[in-house]
Amino acid sequence: MTGKESTLSHYLKSPTLIVIVFVVLGILIARILGMSTLDTLMTIMYFMGIALSLNIIMGFAGYVSFGHAVFLGLGGYAYVLLVYFVKPLAQLQNMGFGLGAFLVAVLAGLFAAVIAASVGAAVLRLRGAFFAIATIGLDFTALYLMKAIVPELNPEQFFGAQIILPADKIVEKDVVFNAMFLTLIILLAVNYYIRKSPFGVGLTAIKEDEDAAEVLGVPTTMFKIIAFTLAGFFAGMVGALFSLNGGGVDETLFNLGHSIDMIVMIVIGGLGTVLGPVVGSLIYFELYDLLLVHYPGVNLIILGIIVAIVVLFFPEGLIGLLRKYKVKGVRLRDLLE
Amino acid sequence: MDVSILAINLVNGFLWGIILGFAAVGLTLLWGVMKVVNLAQGEAILMGSYVAIVLFSQYGISPLIGGLVALLVGLAAGFLIYWALLHKLVGKVEKITLKIEMSTLLAMFALSIALLNFYYYIFGSEPRGFGLWSIGLPFIRVLGTTIRTNILLADALALISVTIVYLFLDRTILGKSIRAVMQDAQAASLVGINPVKIKLLTTVLGIGLTVFSGFMVLLFEASVTPEIAYKYAPLGFVVVVLGGLGSVVGSLVAGIIIGIIYGLSKVVVSIFNPRISDPVALSTAFIVLILILLFKPEGIFGRKR
Amino acid sequence: MEDILVVENVTKRFGGLVANSKVTFSMKRGEILGLIGPNGAGKTTLFNVITGVYKPDEGRVIFKGEDITGKPPHVITRKGIAKTHQIVKPFNDMTVLENAMVGALFGKRAHQITIGEAKEIAYQSLELVGLAEKAEEFAVKLTLRQKKMLELARALSAEPELLLLDEVLAGLNPKEVEEALEIIKKVKEERDLSIIMIEHVMHAVMNIADRIVVLHFGWKIAEGTPEEVANNPEVITAYLGDPRYALRFVRRKGGEGDGSS
Ligand SMILES: Nc1ncnc2c1ncn2[C@@H]1O[C@H](COP(=O)(O)OP(=O)(O)OP(=O)(O)O)[C@@H](O)[C@H]1O
Ligand SMILES: [Mg+2]
Repeated sequence: MTGKESTLSHYLKSPTLIVIVFVVLGILIARILGMSTLDTLMTIMYFMGIALSLNIIMGFAGYVSFGHAVFLGLGGYAYVLLVYFVKPLAQLQNMGFGLGAFLVAVLAGLFAAVIAASVGAAVLRLRGAFFAIATIGLDFTALYLMKAIVPELNPEQFFGAQIILPADKIVEKDVVFNAMFLTLIILLAVNYYIRKSPFGVGLTAIKEDEDAAEVLGVPTTMFKIIAFTLAGFFAGMVGALFSLNGGGVDETLFNLGHSIDMIVMIVIGGLGTVLGPVVGSLIYFELYDLLLVHYPGVNLIILGIIVAIVVLFFPEGLIGLLRKYKVKGVRLRDLLE
Repeated sequence: MDVSILAINLVNGFLWGIILGFAAVGLTLLWGVMKVVNLAQGEAILMGSYVAIVLFSQYGISPLIGGLVALLVGLAAGFLIYWALLHKLVGKVEKITLKIEMSTLLAMFALSIALLNFYYYIFGSEPRGFGLWSIGLPFIRVLGTTIRTNILLADALALISVTIVYLFLDRTILGKSIRAVMQDAQAASLVGINPVKIKLLTTVLGIGLTVFSGFMVLLFEASVTPEIAYKYAPLGFVVVVLGGLGSVVGSLVAGIIIGIIYGLSKVVVSIFNPRISDPVALSTAFIVLILILLFKPEGIFGRKR
Repeated sequence: MEDILVVENVTKRFGGLVANSKVTFSMKRGEILGLIGPNGAGKTTLFNVITGVYKPDEGRVIFKGEDITGKPPHVITRKGIAKTHQIVKPFNDMTVLENAMVGALFGKRAHQITIGEAKEIAYQSLELVGLAEKAEEFAVKLTLRQKKMLELARALSAEPELLLLDEVLAGLNPKEVEEALEIIKKVKEERDLSIIMIEHVMHAVMNIADRIVVLHFGWKIAEGTPEEVANNPEVITAYLGDPRYALRFVRRKGGEGDGSS
C-alpha cells in the first residue's frame, strides 16, 4: 500500500487538525477555568454544530439548503417528546455525566436522519435554487404540521406548539454541556474524515459538475443522500441538545433565521472546508455580539451588508481566501482544509 | 357542512389568490429571464407597503398616490439592486451556471437580511396600515358574504397591472427581447440583443412590480408587519414553480389555484379541528410545491427545458 | 477474440426527433473503432446510451457479455467503460490532479484504492497526456486543448477497458493532432485498451481506426475498414449533404490514397 501514511507525525503536520484541537481544547479549558459563562460556550458550540452539520451537504456537495432548520426543529421536538412521554429515557438523560443525554440526542438525531433520508431521496433530485426552495417548503411544512399536531398530543399542557419540560425531566446545564461537547467532537471528526476521504472527493466533484461526476463513476444519488442524511442527523442532535438546554421547545426552532445563521457562517468562513465553518462560526459569534453591543437595532442590517460584501468580493470566504496564498513557498491550500 | 362557509372560503381564496399571483410576477420574471431567485421577495413586497404607509401617515398623502410612488420607488430599487449586487455576478456572463445561480441566491439573501431588519428597526413588529381610511371603505355583499372595497380595489389593480405587463411582454419590442433572452440567452445575444440592457431592464421591472404589489398586499390585508415576508415569499416560490418560470399568466393562474387550495383545505380541516385549519392549509400549499417540483418542474404553463 | 461491446438495435428518441435508429454494431477487444457522421448524426447520443447517461427507447448494449442497458452511468463506469465529453466538463475549482483523482477513485477499482494510490494513478495519466506540470493548477486555468487532454486523463485514470473518445482532436492544430494520436496509440498498447473515437478530423480517424462506423440522421449507413468506408457512395453523399465536411472529407480521402499506396 503506497501513499498511506496514517502515522501520528503526519497528522501533527496538519494545521487544520491543530486548529481544530486548539478550538476544542479552548472550549474545554474555558469551561474548566470558568473563563466564559456556560451559556456563552453553549452558544458557540451550538453555532459551530449547526454550521458543521449544514457544511456536509452545502459545503462539500454544494447543495444550499435554506430549510436546514427543519432538522434542528425535528431533532428538538423528537428529544423533548421522547423525554416527556418515555419515562426510561427521561431517567437515562441524567446518567453518565451527559452520556445519557447524548444517547437520547442520538435517538432524536436518528429521527431527523430518517426524515432526511426519505425526503432527501426526493428533493435531492432537484438542483440549485429548486432544491433551496424545496427545503424551505419542507421547513414550513414541518413547522405548520408541528403547530397542528403538538397541541393534540396533550391538550391540557401544550399551548400552541410550545412544550416546556417539567423540572423532573430536564438535566443540569453542565451535563448538557458535556453532551454537546461530545457531539461537537464527533461532528468535527466526521467533517474532517469526509474532507480527507474518497467520499469527500466525490461530493466535491458533485458540487463542481454533477453530470460529469456521475459519468466518472461517482454514485451521485447515493452520495447526496448519505451527505444529506448525515447533515440532518447532526442538525437533529444539535437541535435536541439546544432544546434540552433551553428546558423545552417551541416552533421558533424551525425559523428560517436558524438556516440563515448556518448559511452565513459557512459563507463567511468558506465553503467546502472543515476550517471554514469552524472559523466562520467563531467570527459570526463575535460579530453578532459586537454589532449587538455597538449598534443595537441596526446590527442585523449591518450583518446583511457584510454578507453581501463577502458574497460579492470574497465568494470563497475567509479560509478560501487564505488558501490562495503562499507563505514561505508553502501553499496554504495544502495546509488549510 | 355549512355551504356558506365553503363559499366564503372559496371566494376569499380566489380574491387572495389574485394578489398572490400578481405579487409573484416580478419573481417569475427575474427567475425566468436571468435565473435570479429573489430571496428578498418578501422584503420587496414590504417596501411597497411601507412606502405607501409612510406617505399616508406622515404626510397625509392619499393611499392611491402612495401606491404610484411605491411603484416608482420599486423601479429605482431595481436599478440599485442591479448595479450594486447583480451586475457583478450575472452582468457579463453568457451562460448562468448553477454556481452563479447560487451566488445570486446568496446575494439576494444578504439583501433580505438587511432589509427585513431595517423594517423591524424603523417600523417595529406592530401591524401598520391605512387605519381609519380603509375602515371607512364601504362593504359589498356577494353570494351572501360581505367583501370590503379595499379587497376589490386591490384585486382590480392587480388584474390591470398583470394585463399591462402581459401586453408589454407580448407586444413591445423591449418586451419581446426580454422573452427572447428568457428562451435562449446565447441565441438572443447573437441576434444583437444587448444582454446587459435586458438584465437591467428585467431587474428594474421585476423588483418594481414586486414592490408595487406590496401596495396591493397592504390594501388586501389592511395592515402589515415584517412577519408577512415569511408568508408571501415562500408562497411566491410555490406560485412561480406552479405557474412555470417566466410565465406571467401562469403566475396569476397559479396564484389563484394556490389561493383556492388554501381556502379549500382550510374548510376541510376545520371540519375536524378548527384550531389547526390555518397551519394545515399553509402546509398543504408547500406540499403542493414539493410535489410539483418533483413531478412537473416546468410548471403548468412552462415549457420543458 | 471475444466481442467487448455489442450494440444491438439501439433507438433513442428525443420527443419527435430520432437521434439513433436501430443502430447495431459490435467490436472486438483491442480494436479501435472510428465513429463518424455529419453534425447531429447521433454520435454523442450513442455514447450517452452506451455509458448509461440516456436510456435507449429500444435495443440493448452488451459489454463483455453482460447486458448493461439502462444501468446508471456510475455503475457502467465501474464495469470498465470511460468516456470523454465533447463539450469539456472540467471540475473548475479543483486542481488538475484532483480532477484526474476523481477518475481513479471511482473508476474500475472504485472503493479499493486509497487517496494516495489514486494520486499516483492520476499523476501517471497526467504524464501520459502531457499535463503533469499543470498538476497543481486549477482546471479552470487550462486552455481548451489542455482541458480536452484533462478529459482524456480523467478517463484514463478510471483504468477502463473500453474508452470512448468524443472529438478529443477537435480544435487542435495539425501538430497537436499528431501528438494526441501518438498518445492514444501509446495508451492503447500499454493498457490493452479498446477504443471508440468520434472524430471529424477525418484523416486522423482514417489513419488510426481499424474499422469505421458511419452514422447519418441516426441510422448506421456504413461499416467497414477505412478504405471501404471512404469509397462507399452513400457515405460520400451523406457528407456532401453537409458541405463543410464534404470538402474536407474529399480532400482527406485523396491524402489517404497517397499514404496507402
Ligand atoms: N438531450 C437532448 N435533448 C434533445 N435533443 C437532443 C439531445 N441531445 C441530442 N439531441 C439531438 O439529437 C441529435 C443528435 O445529436 P448528437 O449530439 O448525438 O449528434 P452528434 O453526432 O454528436 O453531432 P456533433 O457532430 O455536432 O457532435 C441532434 O439533432 C441533437 O439536437
Ligand atoms: Mg457530438
